[in-house]
Amino acid sequence: MLALSVKSLHKSYGRLHAVNDVSFDVVRGDVFALLGPNGAGKSTTIEILEGFLKRDDGDVRVLGVDPGDRSKQRWLRSRIGVVLQELTVEPFFTVRQVLERNAGYYPTPRRVHDVIDLVGLREKADVKVKRLSGGQQRRLDIGLGIIGNPELLFLDEPTTGLDPAARRMTWELIRALSSEGTTVVLSSHYMDEVEALARHVVVLTRGRIAATGTPSSLGGRDLGHVAISFTMPEGIAVADLPVVPSCCEGLRVEFDTDRELEVLSRLTNWALDEKVSLAGLSVMRQTLEDVYLRLTHEALTSSDEVRS
Amino acid sequence: MSVVAPTKDHTTRGDLRLVAHQVRYEQKAFWINKTGAMFTIGFSVIFLVMLGATNGTQTISYLGNITNDQYYVPGFIAYGIMAACFSMLTSNLVSRRETGLLKRLRLTPLPAWALLTSIFLSTAIVALVQAAVLLVIGRFGYGVAFPREWLAFLVVLVVGIACFTAMGVAISSVIPNQETAGPVTSVAFFVLLFLSGLWFPLPPHSGLEKFSTFFPVRHFLNAVRAPFEQLPGSSAWPWRDLAVVAIWGIVAAFIALRKFRWSPHHG
Repeated sequence: MLALSVKSLHKSYGRLHAVNDVSFDVVRGDVFALLGPNGAGKSTTIEILEGFLKRDDGDVRVLGVDPGDRSKQRWLRSRIGVVLQELTVEPFFTVRQVLERNAGYYPTPRRVHDVIDLVGLREKADVKVKRLSGGQQRRLDIGLGIIGNPELLFLDEPTTGLDPAARRMTWELIRALSSEGTTVVLSSHYMDEVEALARHVVVLTRGRIAATGTPSSLGGRDLGHVAISFTMPEGIAVADLPVVPSCCEGLRVEFDTDRELEVLSRLTNWALDEKVSLAGLSVMRQTLEDVYLRLTHEALTSSDEVRS
Repeated sequence: MSVVAPTKDHTTRGDLRLVAHQVRYEQKAFWINKTGAMFTIGFSVIFLVMLGATNGTQTISYLGNITNDQYYVPGFIAYGIMAACFSMLTSNLVSRRETGLLKRLRLTPLPAWALLTSIFLSTAIVALVQAAVLLVIGRFGYGVAFPREWLAFLVVLVVGIACFTAMGVAISSVIPNQETAGPVTSVAFFVLLFLSGLWFPLPPHSGLEKFSTFFPVRHFLNAVRAPFEQLPGSSAWPWRDLAVVAIWGIVAAFIALRKFRWSPHHG
């Protein structure tokens, strides 16, 4: 069962083709991340899914209905939750008042008390919104996103501005929601967050899809180039090593390769024969951030060439 | 997981409860914000008391020798309604739109009509409360009699509230940002009030009187005054004045519905 289905979506603002032939599916219960640099079309895509913007072309289904169909909007909005980037809460209400008010909009809301606990604002429940710290306001925003007990939750950079502890708490909350069956659509600039939470990823650049996959396989990350490194054993010169290292930093040597099994095997066999240890041996794949930067950079330079 | 077909999960009773729920929070928001309460109810009371203290018992020769107090009570009731429905509502809507509050509401299942109805009802409550306060102060502080024709008085208030609310919503849709909202509405509002004879009665057939007949403010002032029947032989039902106010209201409602926007102007 699909929570989201997007086929050949197009949206232009004047001459700017903000979303250009974008297609993807999200199954129910998934945590899905939409990534891309600012201006890549993420927000436009999400606002079309939320029914806030009209699409120019393509087919979109959210929880099985067309978000552009006005007669279905109320039904749909009682089943989705939205956490926007900018803080938008009346500063003069208390945390509890705002949550109680919004709970009244939904047919089957969560209990206000439970939501206050879930977002960790129990001590601040009767404090006015304007007296909250930035991070606490962000958590209230998330509380407002889940108060209606949504089947599908849109989170636009949910942890921007949060301290590390609050960030981890938000991650736990997103995992808990997901395990209860809530579908989560996430946008974020933090690749560790995407890696920790998302099961599927789409990277947008200039309105087009640059890559899709899981965080661990995105852009051939699970296949490509690997960095093997260790600390030089005492009394061994770099020239004694069976493989020529690509670089050294102090006592640390590094081998960049896309044939990691062969290089590892030669190094470890050599170490066993010589009876030396390879202290701190590590095999590093590219980080998600490396892959993301490469993908978005490639897209930018290649489209520049097309234009010129 | 089964496929749930979109069904209507709201009923008329549920909708009424939803409006009542929203009105409660609109009211809370209004009374928490002291500025709003001050600007509508506070100002009208202060103006009435101040002007009443300075020259309240003097009579106005070209208005059938009624006293200034008799002149000011209906005038400031009208002022309070215009302040609540037009001035306050405009800046309230612009700031809610520009800070993204309206956009956020749009993403909840609260329907647009329910929000607008609640805003209208909430402003109406404020307007009626201030009218009651002024009537009581006028009656017991200055001996100004209550309206003789209560039904006419109520009809005038309801028409005024509806029309000035529509004008407030229309103007708020045209104003681009919060910085402009305050000055534009305050200046336009106070100049029109001044020219329409709120603070001093306009002599009949004066240039000002002719100028102000184009705008709804003067007609509304006259309409609120009529049911008091202060002048012998005058009618309690100010049909002509009400018609002008209503025309402005209908045009404004048309603009409001076409131009209303939920998103802030910046990005």
